[in-house]
Amino acid sequence: MSDLIDYHGIKISLSGKLILDIDHLAVKAHQCTLVTGQNGSGKTTLFKIMSGLLRPDSIQVDYQGRQMNWKQAKPVLQRDIIYLHQQPYLFDASVADNVAYGLYRRGESKNSVQKKVFQALDWANLSHLAQRHAKHLSGGEKQRVALTRARILAPSLLLLDEPTASMDNEAKQQTAYLLQRLKEEGVCVVISSHESHTVDHLADHHLCIEHGKITALEPVKQSAKVTVLNHVKNTLSHD
Amino acid sequence: MNDIQQASVAAFELLLSGDQTTWEIISLSFSVSLSAIAIASPLALILAFFLAFFQFPLRRALIALFNTFMSVPAVVIGLTLYLLLSRSGPLGELKLLFTDKAMIIGQILLSFPLLVAMAHAAFQAADRRAWETAITLGAKPWRAFFTLMFEVRFGLIAAVVAGFGRVIAEIGCSMMVGGNILHATRNIPTAIALETSKGEFAQGIALGIMLLIMSLSLNAGVSLFQGKGELRA
Repeated sequence: MSDLIDYHGIKISLSGKLILDIDHLAVKAHQCTLVTGQNGSGKTTLFKIMSGLLRPDSIQVDYQGRQMNWKQAKPVLQRDIIYLHQQPYLFDASVADNVAYGLYRRGESKNSVQKKVFQALDWANLSHLAQRHAKHLSGGEKQRVALTRARILAPSLLLLDEPTASMDNEAKQQTAYLLQRLKEEGVCVVISSHESHTVDHLADHHLCIEHGKITALEPVKQSAKVTVLNHVKNTLSHD
Repeated sequence: MNDIQQASVAAFELLLSGDQTTWEIISLSFSVSLSAIAIASPLALILAFFLAFFQFPLRRALIALFNTFMSVPAVVIGLTLYLLLSRSGPLGELKLLFTDKAMIIGQILLSFPLLVAMAHAAFQAADRRAWETAITLGAKPWRAFFTLMFEVRFGLIAAVVAGFGRVIAEIGCSMMVGGNILHATRNIPTAIALETSKGEFAQGIALGIMLLIMSLSLNAGVSLFQGKGELRA
C-alpha cells in the first residue's frame, strides 16, 4: 500500500521542552492507523501539526508528489486533512447548518449543499436531528454530527482524537459503526484512542507514541483484529 | 417643585412639537457617536481577536495599556486632542478643531480602548476549538474570524453597546474639541450642561429624556437578543 502522506523531521518545543521529535511518519492510503500513548505523550499535538493547525519548529511534508516546508504545506494540509477534537465543537446553529459549513466555504451552491447535507445526514442516520440546535445534542450525537460534517468534505485524511472517549456504550457502538463505514468507503483515518476494544478492530496499523517519540509502528495482525472484533461482538451482544 | 414640573412639561412639548434646535442637537449627537463607533469597532474587534488568539511581542503590554486607557477621563483625551488640533499644534493645519469631525476623532479615541478590552475578554472566553474547527473545515482565516465573531456575538454586542454608551454621554472631550457651537457641534451632553448653567431646564430635561430612552432601548434590545440566544443555546 502506497503512502498517502509522509511527514519528516517533526519537532516542536513548548516552553523550552521538546514535546515531539519524530524522524519519519508515513500514513498509508486507504488505511486506518491507531495511535496509542499515555496522556501527554504528544498525540493531540501531533494531530494538530498533521492537519496544519499547529506550527512545528521544523517539518517536511511529502504529499501528492511534492516536497513542502511548513509554509507551503500549511494551506494544503488545512484543505485536505480534517482534525476532529476529542470533544468536537459544533457551531451555534442547527445540525444541518453545521454539516453544511465546509461545503459553503468551498463555494458550493445552496441547492447542491442542501442535497449533500440531506444525503450525509441520511448516511449517518441523523436525518431526524437535522433542524435540532447543535448545542442540544448529547456527546455521542455531537461526535456523529462532527464525523458527518467531516465526511461530507471527502478529506484525504481524517484525524480523530479519542472519538469514543467519555461516551456510554450505545454511543460508542454508534460511533464505531460510522467509523467502520468510513473505513469501508476507503477514507484514510488516523485514530487516537484509549478505548482499544471499540476501535482496535478497525486498525490496519498501530502507532505508539511515548514522550513525543514513535516507539512502534507496525501492521496489526489479521488474527489479532479478528480476536478483537469477536470480543467487541460478544461485548455488544451481552449489552 | 413647580419650576421642575413646568420645565418637565416644557421638555415634553419641545420633544413632541419637533422643536428644530432640540432635534438638531439630538441628531448631531447620534450622528457623531454612531460614526465614532462605526469607525472604531471593526479595528478594535480585529485587534482584540489578535490579542486573544495569537502570541506576539508586547502582547501583554498592549493588553495592559488598553485596560489602563479604558478609564482615562474624557477631558484628558479632549485636552490631548485639543493640543494636537489647535492652530499651533502638530495637526493644526488640518483645521479640524471645533468641528464635528474633531468630536468623532475624540470619541473614537475614547471608545477604542473600551471596545478592545471588552472584545478581548469576549474572544478570550471563546472556545479555541471554534477557530480550529472552522479552519480544519476549510474556512479561510478571515472567514473563520467571522465564524468566531458569531460564536461570541453576545459579548461583542455588549462591548459595542458599552462603547456607544460611553461616547454618547461624554461631555469633556466634546466640549473641548467641539466647542459647543449651536447648529454645528452642540451635542446632548454639552447642551444639557449649557442649558443647566443658564437655569433653563426645559431643553436639558428634554435631552436627558432622549438619553434615557436611548439607554433603555439599547438595554432592552440587547436583553431581547441575548434572551433569544439563550433559548436557542
